[in-house]
Amino acid sequence: MSRDKSLVVDGVRQFFGPKNSRVQALSRTDLVIEPGQFVCLAGPSGCGKTTLLRLIAGFIKPSEGQITVSGSEIFGPGPDRGVVFQSPTLYPWMDVASNVELGLKFQGVSKDQRRADSERYLQMVGLTDFAHRRTYELSGGMQQRCQIARVLASDPEFILMDEPFGALDALTRERLQNELLDIWRKTGKTILFITHSVDEAVFLGSRVLVMSPRPGKILFDEPAIFSKPGESIAAEEIRSLPAFLELRERVRSSIQHSH
Amino acid sequence: MVIPLEGLEYHPSGSSADPHDGPQTVSKSAPFWVRVRKSHWTTRLTALAAFLVVWWFLTTPWAWNGDKPIMLPLYLPSIPSVWNAFIRANTIHPIAEGVDREVVGEYGYYLWQHLLATLQRIGIGLFFAIVVGLPLGLLMASVKIISVSVEPYINFLRSLPPLGYIGLLIVWFGIDNTSKIWLLFLAAFPPITIATIAGVSGIKEDQIHAAQSLGASRLQVVSSVTVPAIAPDLITGIRVALGFAWTTVVAAELNNGIPGIGGLAYLSGTELKTPLTITCIIVIGITAIALDSIIKAMERVLTPWRGKA
Ligand SMILES: Nc1ncnc2c1ncn2[C@@H]1O[C@H](COP(=O)(O)OP(=O)(O)O)[C@@H](O)[C@H]1O
Ligand SMILES: [Mg+2]
Repeated sequence: MSRDKSLVVDGVRQFFGPKNSRVQALSRTDLVIEPGQFVCLAGPSGCGKTTLLRLIAGFIKPSEGQITVSGSEIFGPGPDRGVVFQSPTLYPWMDVASNVELGLKFQGVSKDQRRADSERYLQMVGLTDFAHRRTYELSGGMQQRCQIARVLASDPEFILMDEPFGALDALTRERLQNELLDIWRKTGKTILFITHSVDEAVFLGSRVLVMSPRPGKILFDEPAIFSKPGESIAAEEIRSLPAFLELRERVRSSIQHSH
Repeated sequence: MVIPLEGLEYHPSGSSADPHDGPQTVSKSAPFWVRVRKSHWTTRLTALAAFLVVWWFLTTPWAWNGDKPIMLPLYLPSIPSVWNAFIRANTIHPIAEGVDREVVGEYGYYLWQHLLATLQRIGIGLFFAIVVGLPLGLLMASVKIISVSVEPYINFLRSLPPLGYIGLLIVWFGIDNTSKIWLLFLAAFPPITIATIAGVSGIKEDQIHAAQSLGASRLQVVSSVTVPAIAPDLITGIRVALGFAWTTVVAAELNNGIPGIGGLAYLSGTELKTPLTITCIIVIGITAIALDSIIKAMERVLTPWRGKA
């Protein structure tokens, strides 16, 4: 695999708080995310997953080390790294379609093209009928899908997702997991997906990372290719594979022994 | 005393249109003027009727009182005399009973011309208050040095009663319209600035981040996120500012305030034309309530998401 388009976290450490009483949220972290990977990052809550994602998104500057995309250091957020937030950050002053088109609007894409694109992505996430509703009229799951459509429509190279399905009921979560896998298989995007669910991480990821708490440290990093790009295996089939169960068990015990 | 912000404290998030917060359920698709609680209107009309009855009782001559009203007309004019003052102020009429010379309205202007002159001053004052107050609020919200250095002066200005410095403004800007507009501007811009600052500090950090991650430039963040996000607070600020401007208007029009409804109220009082003064007070109050209702309606139309997201 080529390394030119990869995302590299290089010796990053993160502290919060004032100098004399600062807390270390992330211990020295090195991580290379290759193009096309679906990286799932699991770990107990408060271990620093969101911190790592926000560093990569460019929302905070690392206290130490640097993050590079395609070899050049990142300074702040950019359209190459789309973010799906834990709680949807849609704009209530726009309707659903305008939210989805926003990235394209910022890039200067023509109105007709924007409409066409938003229609496509709204269909992909099953929100066609809600295109002209206000975002606060959507349920939590629909808002999350709208957020995903918004990020997909702006066509970033990396999609960073912070427990996007955490607040959803089991049924909706499962459906969205399958939809996301489908999208990944079709588009070949590079995804960093944060979750506190071991099952979700092993099921979705082409690579699974586990982080230990206080300060956050990646202590488990293995491939988990139960769903390759271009393939489509039924979810139940994957979940009954012995290799799936075995990896899930190892991830679980590595989280349990991390604290 | 005019209280133009009637209702503000009950519905700080403009949720008065929410069909679920009242005893009555009116269809959500009904226009807002239908959704105003009807039961409140019966209560209000009854209260108004009671008020008028008391007024009539106090100002009618009674035989048991020596054919005199309980309150003398100079202190509380009767309802018909106020009505006559209202009619006189709106028509061409003889300068006095039995005199041929006719004059227009009061002091050469119809009542609506007095009102319009005042509305114009308030409109211009409010316009500059927005033009100055909004950018100043944005600046203060984003540049610490500006906020730290300017804030004390705004608080100082806010604490001053307008009557205290109208004289100074007249010395500086003359006795004509300019000093009046300055006074209304000075009364109106602090609430707008303060509301803008509150609006900016209420923006969720991730709403800015989300736009930046979608590729927004600095300017695009301001136009697509900051401005719409502060719109509800800004409209509330404008509403408060308009209320302040109204309560300041008599002070603004104390000197050389004709035409002007505040000037007319003051001048007629000094000339003991109490019926006319009361007419002015009623017009000032009703106009204030009407203006406030217009802004409340704009709030619902322009920022329907208020309190919902
Ligand atoms: N902005 C911040 N200021 C201070 N402490 C923070 C901040 N963000 C995160 N932390 C701390 O860093 C640690 C990791 O937080 P976070 O990355 O949100 O964990 P996770 O997403 O894994 O639940 C926590 O102890 C949290 O309190
Ligand atoms: Mg988190």
